[in-house]
Formats: sequence, structure tokens, C-alpha cells
Amino acid sequence: MKYSIRSARAQDCRDIERMIMELALYEKMPDQVKISHKELERDGFGPNPFYQCLVAEVPEERSSAEGHTVVGYVLYYYTYSTWSGRCIYMEDLYVMPQFRGEGIGKALMASVAKVCREQQCVRLQFSVLDWNKPSLEFYLSKGAQDLTDKEGWHLLRFDGEALESLAEEAP
Amino acid sequence: MEQFILRNAEPKDVSDILRLIKELAKFEEMEEQVVLTEKELLEDGFGEHPFYHCVVAEVPEEKQTPEGYRVVGFAMYYFTYDPWIGKLLYLEDFYVMKEFRGYGIGSEILKRLSETAVKCRCSSMHFIVAEWNKQSIEFYKRRGAADLSHEEGWRLFEIGKQSLIKMSAK
Repeated sequence: MKYSIRSARAQDCRDIERMIMELALYEKMPDQVKISHKELERDGFGPNPFYQCLVAEVPEERSSAEGHTVVGYVLYYYTYSTWSGRCIYMEDLYVMPQFRGEGIGKALMASVAKVCREQQCVRLQFSVLDWNKPSLEFYLSKGAQDLTDKEGWHLLRFDGEALESLAEEAP
Repeated sequence: MEQFILRNAEPKDVSDILRLIKELAKFEEMEEQVVLTEKELLEDGFGEHPFYHCVVAEVPEEKQTPEGYRVVGFAMYYFTYDPWIGKLLYLEDFYVMKEFRGYGIGSEILKRLSETAVKCRCSSMHFIVAEWNKQSIEFYKRRGAADLSHEEGWRLFEIGKQSLIKMSAK
């Protein structure tokens, strides 16, 4: 078997941390990565998981030059739409460059689509950077719609100082 | 100043929450897209595994609407995860009835949510706004929100049920 897809275990967090950084580098924002495998373990494998993760693994004889056998991952969580109920949000999807072209990315996404079906989630949402043409094409070919384009949705954020000062005004 | 209290939603509030969801959807010109029922809201918010959390704004009896409604605003949120910074608070819906605006209810709800975010060690609060909704965008930007679609180029994508079924069948 060329590869297998399975649920991530706590021991996979170092590999997940490694791949998160590789993806951040590709997205040109590596300095924005602030957490490590420690937070990933605490937040994903404790009594109240904040995310779910599936990994793609290759047999040892196919490991990368550095000896890695975990070569891709998809990180997702459950969200809620007041219009249609349960949804899944796919936060990260990544396959190491040397393992692309074998269908691992498609398999990881299909596995999440299966979870959607099993958990009665009506849709899968995710965000893509506007310059990321290969990813945009991949998702559009799977039937994805660009809601920013179609309906004008923009993603906003309160963080750091803005969040703290907002909280400080609370009674 | 209009009197009101903010409290966590309870199972008995689901019919008010659905009413307000539909009012907000009407404003966003997408009312027919609300297919959620009170039964689902109850199961999904107050069952074994809550998919969302909700805060409501309630006015005293003497301030109720002509139809007798006392729940006049709500915010629905849940926790998400950013592999770069960890836990986040995601604001899904946020709405105050038109006749109860201008009294600070919206601001109080937002402050309470940001306090929850900080207490729960969330690095930030995310939400989406339609680009034509200038009033809301201004409300958030005045309070220090950043537009990530504009600043970093993030676009929101969605794969609907039919395409999901196709994908999972392979």
C-alpha cells in the first residue's frame, strides 16, 4: 500500500508541528506560528478537544530523506451555521511536496467529507489565499464555491491589544 | 439608558433565538436559506455535545415588544483552532432588534464575548461580515478589528452537501 489515512494520535504532534511550519512557509507567514507540539497535544488530545486531525502515512521504505513517514495532514473542527446547523471547518490541508500527485490530498479531503456525512454536517468550509492558484483550482474542481466572490463575505479579526481593550471595558 | 441584562442562553430560549436568526437572515437578504429548526437548535446547543454557545440580551416586562418578546438580541459563538496560535473564539451570529439599538446592547455583548475569549485563553476572535454591510464593518473597525480578506487575501470557500457526497463516495 502506497499510503494510508488514519486519525492522528498524540505522538503525531511533532510531525504535525513540522508540517504546520512547512505550510506556513508556503503561505509566506512562518513568523506567525506561535504554538508547538505541546499546545497541539494539550488542545487536541485532552478531555475537550478543540480540533480533529487525520494524517497520511507512508510505509518505512518510502520515508522522506529525513526519515519522516507522516507526510500529510488535515486539521478540522465542528462549527455551526444558524441557517443550516452543523458544519465542519477545514483549517489546514497539507501534503509534503515530494508526496504530491498520488492522490493523498484528495484522500484526506474525501475522509473529511465522510466525517461530514457520518456526523450529519451539511457543509464543509475553509479559507484560501487569493494568490494560491494551485489550491484554488484543486478546490474549484471538487465543486467548491468562492463565497467571498459570490456573496461578498470578508473575514475579520480582533486580536492582541484590540481584544484586550475590548475585554477590559466589560462590566 | 434602556434597561437590559445579558445572560447565557437556556433551552427555553430556542424559539426566541430562531426568531432572531430569521430576522438577521432577512436583513442579509437570505431569509429562505434558514432551514434550521427549534428542535435542532435545542439538540445542538443543549445536548451532550454542544456545537455552539449563545448569549442573549433580555429586557424587563415593561419594555417588551408589542408581541410580548423580552429577548431582544443574541450572539452565537463557538471555539475554533488555528494551528499557528491555538484556540480562537468564532462569532457566528450577532444581532440586536432594530427598535432596541442605540442603547449599548451590541457593545455590551461584544465586550462580554471578548472577556470570554480572554478568560478561555483565546488569541483572537474571528467572524465574517458581508462587504456591502458598511454599518457593521464600521462598528467592528472602530473597535480595532482587522479585515483579513482585505489585508492578507483570505477568501471563504464552501463545499455543499451534494459535492461532499460525491467526494466521500470515492
